[in-house]
Amino acid sequence: MEAPAIYTENLTRRFGELVAVQEVNLRVAAGEFFGFLGPNGAGKSTTIKMLTGLLAPTSGTIQILGLDLIAHPVEVKRRIGVVPEGMALFGRLTGAEYLNFAGRMYGLDRETAASRAEELLDFMRLADQPRTLITDYSHGMQKKLALAAAVIHGPNVLFLDEPFEGVDAIAAGTLKTMLQRMTERGATIFLTSHVLEIVERLCSHVAIIDRGRLVAQGSLDELRAGVLAQNRDTSDGREQKLTLEQIFLRAVGGAQPAGQELSWLS
Amino acid sequence: MAELRHSSRHTGQLTAIARLRWQLFLHSLRTTRGTAELISRIFIGFVIAVAGIGGAIGMGVGAWSFVSNQSPQWIALLLWSIFMFWQFFPVMATAFTQSTDSSVFLRFPLSYRAYFLVVVAYGAFDIATALGSLWLLGIWCGVAFADPSLAVWTAFILLTFALVNLILARAIFSWIERWLALRHTREILGIIFFLFVISFQFLGPLIGHFGRTSRPQVTHWGAELSPAQRVLPPGLAAAAMAEFHASPLLSAGYAALLACYGVALLGVLHVRLRAQYRGEDLSEAGARSDSRAMRPSVRRGWKLPGFPVPIAAILEKELLYLSRSGPMLFTLIMPLVMLGVFRVGGSGREAGLLTRAPDFALPTGAAYAVLMLTNLVYNNFGADGAGVQFLFTLPVRFRQVVVAKNLAHAAVLAGELVLVWVTASLLYTPPRLDITIATLAGVLFVLPVNLVAGNFLSLYSPKRIEFSTFGRQRAPQTTILASFAVQICVFGLAAIVLWVVPHQNGYWLASLVLLCLATIALGGYLSSLNHLDRLAHRRQETLIAELCRA
Repeated sequence: MEAPAIYTENLTRRFGELVAVQEVNLRVAAGEFFGFLGPNGAGKSTTIKMLTGLLAPTSGTIQILGLDLIAHPVEVKRRIGVVPEGMALFGRLTGAEYLNFAGRMYGLDRETAASRAEELLDFMRLADQPRTLITDYSHGMQKKLALAAAVIHGPNVLFLDEPFEGVDAIAAGTLKTMLQRMTERGATIFLTSHVLEIVERLCSHVAIIDRGRLVAQGSLDELRAGVLAQNRDTSDGREQKLTLEQIFLRAVGGAQPAGQELSWLS
Repeated sequence: MAELRHSSRHTGQLTAIARLRWQLFLHSLRTTRGTAELISRIFIGFVIAVAGIGGAIGMGVGAWSFVSNQSPQWIALLLWSIFMFWQFFPVMATAFTQSTDSSVFLRFPLSYRAYFLVVVAYGAFDIATALGSLWLLGIWCGVAFADPSLAVWTAFILLTFALVNLILARAIFSWIERWLALRHTREILGIIFFLFVISFQFLGPLIGHFGRTSRPQVTHWGAELSPAQRVLPPGLAAAAMAEFHASPLLSAGYAALLACYGVALLGVLHVRLRAQYRGEDLSEAGARSDSRAMRPSVRRGWKLPGFPVPIAAILEKELLYLSRSGPMLFTLIMPLVMLGVFRVGGSGREAGLLTRAPDFALPTGAAYAVLMLTNLVYNNFGADGAGVQFLFTLPVRFRQVVVAKNLAHAAVLAGELVLVWVTASLLYTPPRLDITIATLAGVLFVLPVNLVAGNFLSLYSPKRIEFSTFGRQRAPQTTILASFAVQICVFGLAAIVLWVVPHQNGYWLASLVLLCLATIALGGYLSSLNHLDRLAHRRQETLIAELCRA
């Protein structure tokens, strides 16, 4: 049986008194496009940082592609790509220099790194500003470049923290196309996003975290079925297809209570 | 929808802005760093108060002396110095920091008049205005004490002069603000500032060289420039005061011209602020212009025989970073500047320090080069900023990253030593072979010790560096103290070796001793690398948190 691409067991992270992530058990199969959702401050970024080796867990196990992350960090990092929060770019390099650098750091030879960097710059429509430093790129351009650097070595698992935040529709389309091609090739993608429509369209499986705890996990259909089963008593018997937003709001209990309005807007 | 009720009173908005600044100040004190900042501000405030009061007394005495000696026209000298300070200080201080952009308030329904007042008010509370006003008050006291009949007229003239200064400073600042919005121009301004600072290094030796004898040509230039300066604000203000008794009409004419300057400058300021008010885009994106015709293919990275690919990649990245940092490059030329400073001087007893002992030019330059390099070595990851996260996601051992950075620093030092050797040869005398060897041996001892200390301190107390600004780039206090202690130990030891070991027939034996020390230091460096991976893993959260902070 094939090992899951991402597997965590009782993953916990404390910051002093605060428990940011509590006993999270994730299981993401190889080739899945996995959406990791949660309200602000729920523990999404903390989880993704732990999964990519940027943050040590307080307790629990992390396995990526069957390898223990703590025991084999270099082997794991060789097989994953990461776009962390803040993008982690080197602002004083040009886009080409950065991609070239990233490729070589992931073990590509000089020729391959250069040719893939060129191809990625073309694909991401970043090639027409060869001398511009990354610090002078727009936010969307930086996002595209960070993603390009994360995929240059052809990772088996890709971790993306808010990849569509601040990206225009054209750039988002480019990113989506590339991510879909990667999953078609068998790569696993783990992304966090607040744009639920995009997650619904792209992801086959979703997990929802709230206040550090995993409150839902499964395919979209499984989550819909779960929510409908919970609300069978209150439903009028008609079949309805819940959107991810409705599932999300029910999972985290975030719907605006009726009657709660701003006094000066009424 | 409820009726929108908004206050159109300027006072309400201005009060809100003043309150905002006060709240920002208060909140900045919540952190430990903020409290330290408060202490430093109290200290700076004390220094400013001393400079202000001391300067005012000096200006007052000067003005009293000029008026008492029937030479009031010389007050121009005092006014010129105030004028230069008032206009240059804010500009130079801006090179230290990111500019405070008052146009952020434009998102609110602020009338143009209120906006204009906000911009001018921002300037009315800065250090230059406070000191300038205090010094002008000193001049007024001096004049009034020497000739009470001039008191009222002088007050009027000095007040006008102060307003002209205030408006000019805001006009200059508003234009500078436009340039500072772009990284490139901010860097250029920083470099100008740096050159300004370097030029101060030469002042002492130059004054020593030229100041001891009478220079009639200097007096001649002064006489030539006098009529020219009289048509500018400081000259006009001084002339208006000087001509008050002899020709009141001429005096009023000068005062009117001074007021005209004020009105004209208001116009200049109005042009800029109006453009800002109407919505001007000063963002970096607006300045982004790259030729679409130039699309060279991505070149291959460096290949360093004998080194793993990641080390070559990081070394290349480090040197690219350095080559794109004007401020950093300029700190690296300081050793050469210092050799020049020590060269300037007269002859005999007045000769520069190294002119009397030219053999020590190379070791002195090399020591300066090492000291300048500590800016980089003791904060290895400071320039990486948020990029440091990327380093932790890579499939490489962290010691490889550190070794590559150390190699880059060693390469920079090697290049700089060559330049120091050439400069020493040109300015003094070609260094003797034994001195050259001893210096190299000394560097081979000092460098690894500094690298070990630098690597550990870089992980323990990192600080983000903005390459495009000079400001707020101070290393943490612990790093400064530790670096100071390391320099005292290693340079002290090297100096003792050079001093104690017999050198009547050259410094060959001292070189040998220093090479032995260098071998021990290199062994210590290699051994320290074994601990780096574990330490980096332990410190990575702090490192990322500190360097990714915006």
